[in-house]
Amino acid sequence: MSQTLSEKPIVPAVVTETATGERKGLTKKEIAADHPTWCPGCGDFSVLALYFKLIEKRKLWHEKITTISGIGCSSRFPYFVQAHGAHFIHGRALPFASGVSLSRPDLHVFAFSGDGDAFSIGGNHFTHTARKNIKMTLVVMDNQVYGLTKKQTSPTSPLGFKSKTDIWGAVDYPINPAKQAISVGASFVARTSATNPNHVLAMMEAAMDHDGFSFVHCLSECVEFYDGAFDAANPRKGGVFNEVPKTHDVTDEFAAYKLASADFPGNFGVLYKVNKPTKNAREAEINASFQSKFTGQKDWQILQKTFDRMK
Amino acid sequence: MSEDLIIGIAGSGGDGVISAGESLLTAAALEGYHCVMTKSFGSQIRGGEASCRLRLATQPVLNPNGPLDVAVALNWDDFKKFGAELPVESATIVIYESNTGVAPDKLPLQGVKPAVVFSVPITAMAAEHAGTDKAKNIVIAGLLAGWFGIGRESMLAGIRKKFAKKGTTIVEGNVRAFQAGLDFTVANPLKEDRKLSAPQSGGQTKLLTDGNDMCAAAAIFAGCTFFGGYPITPSTEIMQFLDREIWKYGGTVLQAEDEIAGVGAVVGASFAGKKSMTATSGPGMSLKTEILGLASLAELPLVCVNVMRGGPSTGMPTKAEQSDLFQAAFSAHGDCLRPVLAPTSVADIFGVTVEAFNLAEYYQTPVIVLSDQEIAQRKETVDPIDTSKFQIIERRRPTGQELVNYTRFKITESGISPISHPGMVGGNYLCAGIEHNEQGRPTASGEMHARMNEKRFNKFNPLKNRRDLFTIEGDPEAPIGMVSWGSVAGVAQEALRLAQAEGLQVKLLVPRLLYPVAETVYQDFFASVQRGLFIEQSYQAQLYRLVRMYVDFPAVVKPFAKSGSNPILPSEVLDRLREMVVAIQSSQQQPEAVEN
Ligand SMILES: Cc1ncc(C[n+]2csc(CCOP(=O)(O)OP(=O)(O)O)c2C)c(N)n1
Ligand code: SF4
Ligand SMILES: [Mg+2]
Repeated sequence: MSQTLSEKPIVPAVVTETATGERKGLTKKEIAADHPTWCPGCGDFSVLALYFKLIEKRKLWHEKITTISGIGCSSRFPYFVQAHGAHFIHGRALPFASGVSLSRPDLHVFAFSGDGDAFSIGGNHFTHTARKNIKMTLVVMDNQVYGLTKKQTSPTSPLGFKSKTDIWGAVDYPINPAKQAISVGASFVARTSATNPNHVLAMMEAAMDHDGFSFVHCLSECVEFYDGAFDAANPRKGGVFNEVPKTHDVTDEFAAYKLASADFPGNFGVLYKVNKPTKNAREAEINASFQSKFTGQKDWQILQKTFDRMK
Repeated sequence: MSEDLIIGIAGSGGDGVISAGESLLTAAALEGYHCVMTKSFGSQIRGGEASCRLRLATQPVLNPNGPLDVAVALNWDDFKKFGAELPVESATIVIYESNTGVAPDKLPLQGVKPAVVFSVPITAMAAEHAGTDKAKNIVIAGLLAGWFGIGRESMLAGIRKKFAKKGTTIVEGNVRAFQAGLDFTVANPLKEDRKLSAPQSGGQTKLLTDGNDMCAAAAIFAGCTFFGGYPITPSTEIMQFLDREIWKYGGTVLQAEDEIAGVGAVVGASFAGKKSMTATSGPGMSLKTEILGLASLAELPLVCVNVMRGGPSTGMPTKAEQSDLFQAAFSAHGDCLRPVLAPTSVADIFGVTVEAFNLAEYYQTPVIVLSDQEIAQRKETVDPIDTSKFQIIERRRPTGQELVNYTRFKITESGISPISHPGMVGGNYLCAGIEHNEQGRPTASGEMHARMNEKRFNKFNPLKNRRDLFTIEGDPEAPIGMVSWGSVAGVAQEALRLAQAEGLQVKLLVPRLLYPVAETVYQDFFASVQRGLFIEQSYQAQLYRLVRMYVDFPAVVKPFAKSGSNPILPSEVLDRLREMVVAIQSSQQQPEAVEN
């Protein structure tokens, strides 16, 4: 990915209403920003296209969503979307997204990340954002390699993968993102692959509708540095795309863990989904219960009481 | 009679040293005295050595430092661990626990023989009158109240309040222990009356609080509704205070998994349109560096409080030091400027924190507040806050017109561009760490980078003319000039009073704004100066060196700096000032070679 991004100005979003006064959903033209600078054939194109589809389909307006990422090829995502967004710091998309989610419950927060960004430098944030069940959707575009920095081993690279930092083949055991997410308390965990567009859209939509921290692990091939990594999951390349069995109980944590543990390519679909109160909801309760004790009082009056207690 | 009393108490963690000090402090404040109390601990979590210093006075107290008028030792081993923090002189009245077995004429103090020494069976008195040696602190409070004239009624009121929840038996036991202390002083009076004179302002309307609580209260007043942070001594109480209070204002406290996540969330909340803050100490500051750099580039407002402790690394977590100034000013990659402010006292931190929010919002920038362990954790009497004195500034948001073809980083005359947030139709832009053009789109153009740097630096020019962020005391034409900041400024202020009382011509400059360096303020200050002194608590004399980067002041201006935890005494500063007077006089008699 050697190209630099263009300096094309953003076209301002304009609210358009239909004759009946109902607001129209955004068109792709209104959502797309710069043409993506990814390498032709990169799996990330498909994820972006499906994000646009989701926005169109569900009539999400600019002012209702934020698109947040860290650093990496995959994390360039927000540049290509016309929305309030942030291209933050390597590994730190989730803290930023948490700040937005907790302070602005009116927004839906989408975070996009790569395998290095989410599981290596940002691994700790992944654990804690999941366990706190902060409401947002995280899509990790896993190419099992560091793309932006041109082919180093990532935490999901399989054993034996030859990279510029493992010329004899990777010796470190990879992590299994879905297993990790289930074990640290994510309340929604799904697996999909960029080569199956309908499936990606279905997973993103289900994730968005989930009230809590929803994690979509999306295989997304890096054609430049790890060509063919996911062929075994792509029927067009002679692989198999097995969906999660209909009989699987998504609320059964152990069953989900077992399903997530299967050898590659394993199963695709929603592996785990439980409803439990979000941090956002609990904090709204705390706010309400504190504020009910001070109804009708101005902020300075409340503060005055605090000062009085210092006497 | 006394106008000003400095009392030091030390013992082991379980001795109730701090609570003895607090009982006395509360009662003295209630009577209308001006008070400061600092606590100091060993680094152990529990047990270990503990001490407190109280300064009670009829006039406002400028700092807690100085040799002790009264020393109380529950055991000598622990007392001695505090060394220079609890300096005993021959004039110090020493009170100690008799069960230490030390003879009054054989105190284990090097080179001093205090004239007045009381060996008191503190533990035995507590056990006899309260039925438990836990009441040692109350016996000490009784002794001190008796000898130094803190009102019995105020003390008793405090004791009743403190133990009310524990039932009447405990309350009465403690009242008897207090009385036993008082009775001891009646039976063993001081030869010279050292009781505090009546306070000038009777009746308590003052607040009694510490710097961390005051800082957090100021954040709420300034409109902060989001805090993200990770516990670290000595800053944690800021987060804890906000976690008790912020919910009332619809806000949130996020205890993050680390300091990086804490400030990351704060940047996210600021992007989302909220006033937000983080607080930490040295090690946490180091972790936050990368994200603070992004906030500078993306021009996002936030306040970051660093409650300084001894460093580098884990250093001395429970001791104050002013050694993070270079870090505050310079720890960022790339060319980056962000304002650094420092309060001088518990009372001062309120206004400084409000100012930090105002600067952050106005200039769309992170602002660092350098508090320190002493200000953060010392308890001080503070006049009630007159909130009407403070103005609150909000970030410049785009008008409807400006949301058409919204240009996030528009280059304006002031360098300040309207900032939108999610939810504003048409206001969408990409917040990023990559250099941008005016629209916020990424750029690798050298020309654009230079223009954006210029914008981000020049917007702060008016800040350097904010003379209200500096105080100058003393004769403006004085030939001797002192500069001091943070908690040490109070020492310099006291030295100034002492010098003035001797007829020395001295002035003192105290900056609240440390960075960017307000060049003209220093130039004007040094215009009359023939000898000068920067007084600060760091090995490198960081403010002295920082100002020298920007201002050519005469070589006869020197630093007077000590590493953290080694108190700087007003009397030491006074000695330096006297030496300067002599130097000026002799240089006037025979012109000397220029020093360098
Ligand atoms: C603190 C920091 N360290 C290192 C980098 C360099 N860096 C940028 S992206 C990246 C790895 C990206 O890998 P991944 O998250 O898998 O994204 P991909 O490019 O594969 O989509 C690294 C090491 C950086 N930007 N910041
Ligand atoms: S992930 Fe690979 S294929 Fe995609 S843009 Fe980066 S280098 Fe190119
Ligand atoms: Mg990758």
